[in-house]
Amino acid sequence: MSSAATIKAATEWSNWSGSLKFTPWNFGKPGNEDALRQVIRNCYTEGRQVRLAAAGHSSTPLVETRGTLLHLHHFKGIIRRDDEQQTVTFGAGMTVHEANAALQEIGLALFNTGDVDVQTLAGAIATGTHGTGMKLRNLSSMLRGVRMVDYQGNVREFSSPADERWMNAMRVSLGALGIFTELTVRVVPLFKLTRTEHFTTVDSCLENFDALAGENRNVDFYWYPRSDEIKIRILNEPGQGTTEFPYSFRCVKHEEGWVGEILPRHRELRFDEMEYALPREAGIACFKEVRNRIKARHRKAVAWRVLYRTIAGDANYLSPHYGRDSVSISLHHNAGLPFDAFFNDIEPIFIHHSGRPHWAKKHNLKARQLRPLYPAWEAFQDVRRSLDPEGFFMNHYLKVLIGEYEE
Amino acid sequence: MKNKQQQGKRIWAFAAGHIPLHSTGTEPAFTSHDKVAILNTGDKDAQVALVVFYADGDPVGDYTVTVKRKRIRKIRFNDLIDPLPIPLDTPFGFLIVSDVDIIVQFSRLNTGASALSSFCVTAFPNSQ
Repeated sequence: MSSAATIKAATEWSNWSGSLKFTPWNFGKPGNEDALRQVIRNCYTEGRQVRLAAAGHSSTPLVETRGTLLHLHHFKGIIRRDDEQQTVTFGAGMTVHEANAALQEIGLALFNTGDVDVQTLAGAIATGTHGTGMKLRNLSSMLRGVRMVDYQGNVREFSSPADERWMNAMRVSLGALGIFTELTVRVVPLFKLTRTEHFTTVDSCLENFDALAGENRNVDFYWYPRSDEIKIRILNEPGQGTTEFPYSFRCVKHEEGWVGEILPRHRELRFDEMEYALPREAGIACFKEVRNRIKARHRKAVAWRVLYRTIAGDANYLSPHYGRDSVSISLHHNAGLPFDAFFNDIEPIFIHHSGRPHWAKKHNLKARQLRPLYPAWEAFQDVRRSLDPEGFFMNHYLKVLIGEYEE
Repeated sequence: MKNKQQQGKRIWAFAAGHIPLHSTGTEPAFTSHDKVAILNTGDKDAQVALVVFYADGDPVGDYTVTVKRKRIRKIRFNDLIDPLPIPLDTPFGFLIVSDVDIIVQFSRLNTGASALSSFCVTAFPNSQ
């Protein structure tokens, strides 16, 4: 399939929540890697930028461009399976849901997913997307190898552990290094999970949360600002984890199934979101401040729950969880409603607790504020300058976010 | 022929909704709220759609719920988010339409002042 046949006339593109809309010069839907290389060569020659749309679940302008917006709808499926290395190589256009479904058919699974699984695998990995689990790292950490097309249309390959310096940059790269076409990820034997959900009070949750998070595979909680109630969600492999809960816990759900069917939730209602990753030891204190602020100032308009999760630290240069075990606190607001006053009022609390924003969710930080938060910032920049010395993949937002200049 | 077990009406309305902004006391037991309790006495699940009206601005809905056969279900307006949350401290009215006869009772708890207060009233049933 030729690249020319796949380029459509430009129309407006919108992200999942509808809070990000723009019209690129055109859309590129290459049918294979050769066609993708040709699209990139043409764009480079013509001075037209390229960004990758992924699934559009991000609510920041990572993909915004006036150039060519790529879709990798044709880059699907399992390409290779390596049982010795416990890896599977996917086409980069696979969604997390599709990847887990394909793995389930061959008795394998991803170790974790986020709260939803509609993102592409490439998008989730590139932005440090995560699930919950005190001993579980983010989804980026499962990346073992990358095949990509660089700014001149050349195919490049990197793998772990041989190219670890490169891989530490690749794992959370915001699409700034090139267009990934194949992703090799660590997989695990297919497993089942049991999900239980309990309602309880804030005091009871906070008193017991660390112990529960330590005893169980996946634990997080929702706080409901309009009722001040908590729902704790606990997942374990069958027969494992806590069996005796505090008396104040009221079980409202108990179900069991394959990991890809039980772990991610299905969400029809769309929302915008702000999320920060905080040092684990700061999590509860930060949550208490967020809760007090919402109750004092935002209850009139805000009804969506606040989500609290745990993530193990890693060594990936731009990972929000770099070098520290973390918790994340997420704010949500219905798509279409004004979110600025709410999010912007809470954000200083996150920052005060040394928070790092989720790259794919709303925040207001720029390179000047972000650089001190990331000890390996320059290591990432070294890799970026090597792979994309002319900044071909740097859209305006990326320049403000990780670029060399301030707006 | 109408099922004698299925009591109530299919259309209900209430015009004086207003969720208090402030609460005192332990939550959620003493969270100020507006609420409807829906009773389905019949043999068939009730598919219920609720539309909210405001003093200014277009109606918002449908908020949809199922009330299982021979069950009650309580719905706190504070908790509704789909399609949109209802702002606190804002007058609203609502229309409830069910595919089977149901009984609807509206109540409000306002703990904004230190003394607990509440009232309860049955909504207006349409003649259908």
